[in-house]
Amino acid sequence: MAGTGSAHLRDDPNVLLRVEDLVVEFKAGRKGTVHAVSGVSFDVMDGETLGLVGESGCGKSTTAKAVIQIPAPTSGEVLYNGTDLAALKGEDMRRMRPEIQMIFQDPISSLNPRRKIRDVISEGLAVWGDAHGTWSQDRIEELMIAVGIDPKYGDRRPHQFSGGQCQRIGIARALALDPKVLICDEPVSALDVSVQAQVLNLLEDMKTRYGLTLLFISHDLSVVKNVSDRIIVMYLGKAAEIGDAEELYHRPRHPYTRALLASIPEPAPTVDVHEGDIAGELPSPINPPDGCRFNTRCPHADDICFTDEPIMTQVGDADHFVACHHPVDVTIRT
Amino acid sequence: MTTQHHSHLEDEEVPITFAVEGVVADDMPAEQFVTRKTLGWGFWVSIGWLVAIITAALLAPVLPIPDPGVDLSSDVGLREPPSTEAWFGTDALGRDVFSRVIWGARISLTVGFAAVAFGMVFGGSLGMLSGFLRGWFDSLTGFLFLTLLSFPALILAILMTSLLDRTLFTICVVLGVLGVAPVGRLSRAATIQFAEREFVTAAHTIGAKRGRILIRELLPNVVIPMGALALLGMAVAIVAEGGLAFLGLSVEGDTITWGKMIADGSDRREIEDAPWVAFFPITFLFLTVLALNFAGDKVREYFDVKEISV
Amino acid sequence: MSEITIEAVPERSADPNAPLLEVTDYRVGFKTERGLAKAVDGVTFRLARGRTLGIVGESGSGKSVLNRSIMGLVVSSNQIEEGSITFDGTEIVDTDRQPFWGNRMSMIFQDPMTSLNPVMKVGKQIGEPLKLHLGMDKKQARERATELLTQVGIPEPTRRLDQYPHELSGGMRQRVMIAIALAGEPDFLVADEPTTALDVTVQKYILDLLGELQRDREMAMTLITHDLGVARGRTDDLLVMYGGRVMEQAPTEVLFSAMRHPYSEALLESIPTLDHPKHTRLNPIPGSPPDIVSPPPGCRFAPRCRYAQDRCATDLPELVSDGNHHYACFYPVGTEAGAEALQTNIERGQTAVGLRVSAEGRLG
Repeated sequence: MAGTGSAHLRDDPNVLLRVEDLVVEFKAGRKGTVHAVSGVSFDVMDGETLGLVGESGCGKSTTAKAVIQIPAPTSGEVLYNGTDLAALKGEDMRRMRPEIQMIFQDPISSLNPRRKIRDVISEGLAVWGDAHGTWSQDRIEELMIAVGIDPKYGDRRPHQFSGGQCQRIGIARALALDPKVLICDEPVSALDVSVQAQVLNLLEDMKTRYGLTLLFISHDLSVVKNVSDRIIVMYLGKAAEIGDAEELYHRPRHPYTRALLASIPEPAPTVDVHEGDIAGELPSPINPPDGCRFNTRCPHADDICFTDEPIMTQVGDADHFVACHHPVDVTIRT
Repeated sequence: MTTQHHSHLEDEEVPITFAVEGVVADDMPAEQFVTRKTLGWGFWVSIGWLVAIITAALLAPVLPIPDPGVDLSSDVGLREPPSTEAWFGTDALGRDVFSRVIWGARISLTVGFAAVAFGMVFGGSLGMLSGFLRGWFDSLTGFLFLTLLSFPALILAILMTSLLDRTLFTICVVLGVLGVAPVGRLSRAATIQFAEREFVTAAHTIGAKRGRILIRELLPNVVIPMGALALLGMAVAIVAEGGLAFLGLSVEGDTITWGKMIADGSDRREIEDAPWVAFFPITFLFLTVLALNFAGDKVREYFDVKEISV
Repeated sequence: MSEITIEAVPERSADPNAPLLEVTDYRVGFKTERGLAKAVDGVTFRLARGRTLGIVGESGSGKSVLNRSIMGLVVSSNQIEEGSITFDGTEIVDTDRQPFWGNRMSMIFQDPMTSLNPVMKVGKQIGEPLKLHLGMDKKQARERATELLTQVGIPEPTRRLDQYPHELSGGMRQRVMIAIALAGEPDFLVADEPTTALDVTVQKYILDLLGELQRDREMAMTLITHDLGVARGRTDDLLVMYGGRVMEQAPTEVLFSAMRHPYSEALLESIPTLDHPKHTRLNPIPGSPPDIVSPPPGCRFAPRCRYAQDRCATDLPELVSDGNHHYACFYPVGTEAGAEALQTNIERGQTAVGLRVSAEGRLG
């Protein structure tokens, strides 16, 4: 079995997106191959929000892009409503695109500086047309109002808007095609603190209003917890821990998850601040360690961690799985 | 006193001098307070000159100027200095220099424009395609550009003009071909730069086909640096024609070009006896090239600034 | 190779207890086509050795401009400076601060990718201030650079000396930058969002490191951040800025336990925290930061404040002092005036500037 396994995948007819054993590798010149994602599995149910959290180099953004095949992953299955997206060829995949949309991290760079925002938002409709093969200005206006941009500014260009407003425009663009799944790649990381809350609330509203399923990627643990139903923690291309958001944050089992939670300036009460003092640097993804990839920095690593890759196992009866040979015991502090 | 306020759902409209609302944004004045740059009066003066010279060139047949080929030696004289009868004087064959400068503009400007157009269309599209598609196509065009650039421009020009009939058309093509590689490389670089931006990925996720992305997303952005380059390229082409004329390789026959006028007026005897014959075409050439260079620079500056300051 | 010469290094003042930095009614403006942009509009504070002043604000608050201007990093010929800054007894406003750089005051920046010279080896970059300010020769500089790299926690320091910045990770580059900044042994360090671009585990390390180095060297430090969590844990005193003005100023714990300014309160309430259950509805601050060229008359925050009354739209509140706690507000949080103001707004359903207020007192 490759990667950290798939014991945590659910057998439920409501599962909308199911990623199994995703591998993304690419060549780095003469230095070798970058193992960006090495056998990651997860699923998302209809109407659920899955948070993908981890630090730089963990492969979360790469995973998100691989789900929508930009570019296609090296191997693995991406089952959307039963269809394996990874097996689709060019034009067939293109036809699936309206159903899975994406919003991006840099609000300014994600909008074409030379186009009016009205055209940017309606681009999807211009490409596909709506159910009748045509589309109306009304739909665009309705979307703009829904995200909080006054339609009378539709003829302006992106540089005339603030970062938060640009992000709203990006959301409107993604929603224009009435998708079922929305992949959010660090959507608030580049925004001011007071604006982040605006956009997060907006995403929740849109999710309810349009019945969306969300895949939310971020390095900000507090933001991810606020938004997600379930969370998956990634490290150096592997899935380390996955489970219900509350459960995971209150009873983190993986030493890396605990380190993350201890490092936040206002750390979680369930971890000791010193658990955040993980030694060493992130190993290179070109030459990742054998066995458990966290072994170079884990305070609990022993022999088995250097030889055998840990597999996802359930923690008790809860919706909580961890891939670790020595999951840390629960200690709850107030 | 209460102030009007939009509904809580909307953000306030943002004035142009607003800083980027970003965590990594620097609220430093350089970014924050750069107001919209105007093109400046120098730009408009340059444009004014260009418009004037183009208009004069277009209207040459109907302007009240003497026929540029006619010998006026009986009225005015050979090699006469500038006077009220002949504003720029006459040349060795008694022809009116002022009229010849205007008529010469027609050809020189056409060469400038056509050569650049050729370079832009072929070089620009090849560059864009290779920058967008990458892969083997990119390697192939890269090789082509490299080969073209490896020939000293002068040698290539001489080679081509000696093999072909030297009509206006072929001169334009020769100069155009010389422009293909530099333009192509620039358009490729610009395309790659824009293709890496997230709005192109976004277009992809929307489901736009590659052709649509190229035309609707990339082209409007690449056109800007290309436009600036076009103005500069025209200047280069006009001067290049002058160079060819000096080698006797410009357009054959009686066709008047600034280059040919300068070449004719530059041998020792002419410079001593009738310096105005070369002086005026040189001045016009200089001013036109200056105007093109200046305008091109301003355009590039203006659009660069708009990109960076949000 | 040309020698960089510096003018006479200012003398250290005799009194060790006097605050190192005294800023009084400091203003910085920039002339723009539209008028004078008042980026910093009247800031006053004192900073003693060994203390950390946190400066919290968002885009347009003026926090970066304030600190860079104190350092004397003029970036625009259109800049105007007013007010007073005394550094160790010497008035430095409108003077060339170059003699102070590296040896008396130093700065670390936000983006480790662009703050190091990409074509110069790490050892050489650390060596420059050592040779310049401490007069070391090449050998001494190399030894000291190795020491410094060890102090900032870089493994295999001797090997790193000969590496280029791009060969190091973001966290390591930031540590190198700290080493360079501290090489000249300055008394005052400006840390401008030093960890914003870094991962959270690296962030903790860097902040711990800065705290340690500061204690060892008795340095005064200003820590600029947008992250209230960082501000709370790592600073002694706090300055909250908005639209170029100081909204609230107090010792950190006092500010958090007895918050007075509506902006501070709103900022704190808008941030998701781990205590909140998932899907908690957040309390954003509606609208955007103000235009500092033509700000609204009255309090800069009034257009977004749930306590706003008529007066707030016309009069500019000055700083009111309650011991060492200062705040600029007519209807402060936690006071009778503030509570009444909020109640008034709840009852009429909107603030004085027309923002809708719900029955629970939330905006919108």
